[in-house]
Amino acid sequence: MVHISDGILSLPVLAAGWAITIALLAVALWWSKKKGNLEEEIPKLSVMTAAFFIASLIHIPVGPTSAHLILNGLVGVILGIFAIPAIFIGVVLQTVLFQHGGITTIGVNTANMGISALIAYCIFKWGNKVGRSIMRKDLSVGIFGALAGGAGVFLAVIFTAFSLILSSKEAFFAIAIALILAHIPIIVIEAIITGSIVVFLMKAKPELIGGLENDE
Amino acid sequence: MVEYPEIDKYSALDSPMHRFDPRAKIVAFIVLIFAVVLVPNLKLALIALIGAILFLIVSKLPLRFALQHIKWVFLFVVPFIVIMPFTVPGTEIFSFFGLTMTYEGLEYGILVAVRALSAVILVLPMIATSKFNVTIKALGELKMPNMLVQMFMFTYRYIFVFVVEFQRTWRAMVARGFQLKTNLYALKMIGRALGTLFVRSYERGDRVYQALRARGYTAKPKTLVEFKMRASDYVWTAVIIGFAVSLLVVPFVEVL
Repeated sequence: MVHISDGILSLPVLAAGWAITIALLAVALWWSKKKGNLEEEIPKLSVMTAAFFIASLIHIPVGPTSAHLILNGLVGVILGIFAIPAIFIGVVLQTVLFQHGGITTIGVNTANMGISALIAYCIFKWGNKVGRSIMRKDLSVGIFGALAGGAGVFLAVIFTAFSLILSSKEAFFAIAIALILAHIPIIVIEAIITGSIVVFLMKAKPELIGGLENDE
Repeated sequence: MVEYPEIDKYSALDSPMHRFDPRAKIVAFIVLIFAVVLVPNLKLALIALIGAILFLIVSKLPLRFALQHIKWVFLFVVPFIVIMPFTVPGTEIFSFFGLTMTYEGLEYGILVAVRALSAVILVLPMIATSKFNVTIKALGELKMPNMLVQMFMFTYRYIFVFVVEFQRTWRAMVARGFQLKTNLYALKMIGRALGTLFVRSYERGDRVYQALRARGYTAKPKTLVEFKMRASDYVWTAVIIGFAVSLLVVPFVEVL
């Protein structure tokens, strides 16, 4: 549950979330304009966003309950900076189509998941640069893919906990801790799934992974 | 396994909310939702909740449909009602086994829950009363950047395609004896199924782009829907925003 509902966060936190999200979106839009060819980017990016959206609807049994995948780490690894618009679209659609999350918290939720996705992208990219000189390529891709996938969720949960604590430390501290503990199994699951997806993609369609330099 | 989004299932009904201009509807309800999530006390939160329910009734959406969409918010809100009474310091109601339930904690927990519930109810008259593609078009009219509007349109459209595609992959896996358990093997298999989905969608994205280009696509939106504000649209906008403003102003008036 890294998408916070309406009615919980304080105004400064909501405003900060929107400010960060709009700034990140502006950077991504500026970047795509600089690269030109918007009419080529849009359909491809949207199709990938839809695929991620479907993936996030899958529920994995965790003990007595189930959790749905977040996959923001994977979005980062594949799309790089375009993870921001993709996650924004995903968050808005989750909110208005399924009422997971809230309207006022679209900013906070996008920022929490988006920044984590960008960090996951950096972990994967830089990790592989080092990793490939000391081990087999698929091993390195698998390990850093899993690390990026786990880090994506881990950071998103930490940021979400911070958003709660920043809103009201005394009221939400215990909830924030409970939130982090509840997500430990999900972090492991996401790490394994992201690792296996990235290895699969490396073999089947390496050009799809934005965070991988294709040098062969 | 995965289900279709059915938010605009009842968009063909007829009600004041269905006739409401989508642009004004989005702006007015977003203002109201922001006001609702910021109400400072339980009394106002309950007034907001009643208001939200009234708007839902005006929209004539079936109760079953509404409850289906509202139920998710409870998953997020229940921990707040359960945990907060015991963690927020304040006046003691009772205590057992070293846990102290406080009045302040209980009140804050319920306040959070009522605000969340009111906000999620308001999403329904806002979104479920128009076809979703009309809502997206309205976002474009409201000056959302073109790239995002276009991404909304394509993404929404392809969600339906991929639901079918993933269901097919899933059925094939199950037919071969796959069982969804929390073990390394099952997770790896899900990873591969998703990997296949990504590869297929990437290749499809290429074909979609080629097909669109062949039909003269230039990344500029063109739709057949035309919007026009009528007198009733101004009235509803005034009612909703007026309600929002009074929710925000009342606490200050009471202080004076």
